[in-house]
Amino acid sequence: MNKLVWVKINSGNYFKVMSRLNNIGISLYDNKKYKDYILIETTYEDYEKIQKYLISYKTEIYAETGFKKVKNFIKKYLIFTIASVISILILFIANNTIFKIEVKSNNKNIRELVKDELKQYNLKPLRQKINHKKIETIVKEILDNNKDLLEWLEIEYDGLVMNVYVTEKVIPKEDEPKDFCNIIAKSDAKITNINLYRGVLIKEVNDYVTKGDIIISGEVTYNEEVKNNVCASGEVYGEVWYKVKVTVPFKEDYIEYTGKNRYNFNVRINDNKYRILKSRIKNKKEEETNLYKLNDFEINLVKEREYVNKTRTISEEEAYNKAISLAEEKVKLKLKEKEDILVKKVLKKEVNNSTIYLEVFIATKENIGVESLQKENDGSDNGNNTQNNQ
Amino acid sequence: MENLHFKEYFKNFLYDLNDFITIYENTLHVFNYDKLNKMSDNEIILTIKEKKILINGENLKIKQMTKQELLIKGKILKVEFIYE
Repeated sequence: MNKLVWVKINSGNYFKVMSRLNNIGISLYDNKKYKDYILIETTYEDYEKIQKYLISYKTEIYAETGFKKVKNFIKKYLIFTIASVISILILFIANNTIFKIEVKSNNKNIRELVKDELKQYNLKPLRQKINHKKIETIVKEILDNNKDLLEWLEIEYDGLVMNVYVTEKVIPKEDEPKDFCNIIAKSDAKITNINLYRGVLIKEVNDYVTKGDIIISGEVTYNEEVKNNVCASGEVYGEVWYKVKVTVPFKEDYIEYTGKNRYNFNVRINDNKYRILKSRIKNKKEEETNLYKLNDFEINLVKEREYVNKTRTISEEEAYNKAISLAEEKVKLKLKEKEDILVKKVLKKEVNNSTIYLEVFIATKENIGVESLQKENDGSDNGNNTQNNQ
Repeated sequence: MENLHFKEYFKNFLYDLNDFITIYENTLHVFNYDKLNKMSDNEIILTIKEKKILINGENLKIKQMTKQELLIKGKILKVEFIYE
């Protein structure tokens, strides 16, 4: 059947129009009569005939039916239609895609092993999910390939994440030589505080120690005879001294924002970031605002702020303060929680035309005790002292 | 058991005719008419095989129309031949 269309004919004379339509052989499938116009349902071919022969009436397409109607709707709401189609497509793809694989095991080697095995079956981020039956086959094959290492393996999907639960095979350890450990000083220091958990205390508070000195021993002795070996444990805080050398130029580089901003979007999947639009700013600082987040999938709004590099001259006092701050920062980089700077003092100051040079003495409170593993009947010290005084 | 398609047989029998008029409640179906001569709210005159037929009624309206068929809606009061 030919495609139908509703045609509006501007005329109040219903019977005259019908008579004319009949005369020119128009097929009429439905019609509605209104005060000033008539709506008729006819074919496209007949509509062309009406336009050709009924020139005394104003005619126009009122509404379309069937495929043509759908086609015109799509044409009219093109952006909306495209957006809807893309959204459904993204939803469908996202729903069938693995965005992240999480192997639940404390052993890093096992995690890597399982990930490598899964890769062989094309199971990695941004790949299509597979069905339950296939998963069972893969699990069986992986377990068969790693009989000595893996006890049990289970794969399940949690949204976009594929969780892999692994149980490592426990192999009973053969008798190993009995080890013990000491707590030794990692740097020269004056002991300020000791928290002993296990072992025998060798040094006291206010004692001066040098790097490598045993502070808490793992050898439990009685009447000068070793009765038992333990792994010594405890916290030893001491005063550690640094001499920091800093040179600061009087010319200082800084950045100045031009006020030109551009907005962009980026998509982050796992740890990979993809920029949506091309950036036109060469020197820029970026500020991200999260718009959408689902597991490891993020959409961010990025504000790009343009800047220019500039140079300015600072006063001797500013340079001096900057040097002190830099010296402090240098030391603070080595400090951990509960550790702090106790004293700082400038030992030497030299000023020339372009720079200021300072030698700063800094005393800190630090945990100076490190575990040193020792084999029985072996006097070797395996402690790792990473402290380097400047 | 094979179905006896009485309705279909009857329809075929009717459609074998060159022309006919069927009257339903408030509807009149004309098959194979030649010309629509005149139309108004209460009167429609059409020609079938050189015979003029007058349809009288109230609120008459052409519902469907092709080169062969006409479907007229409205209160049908009278259908008669006009002899001139």
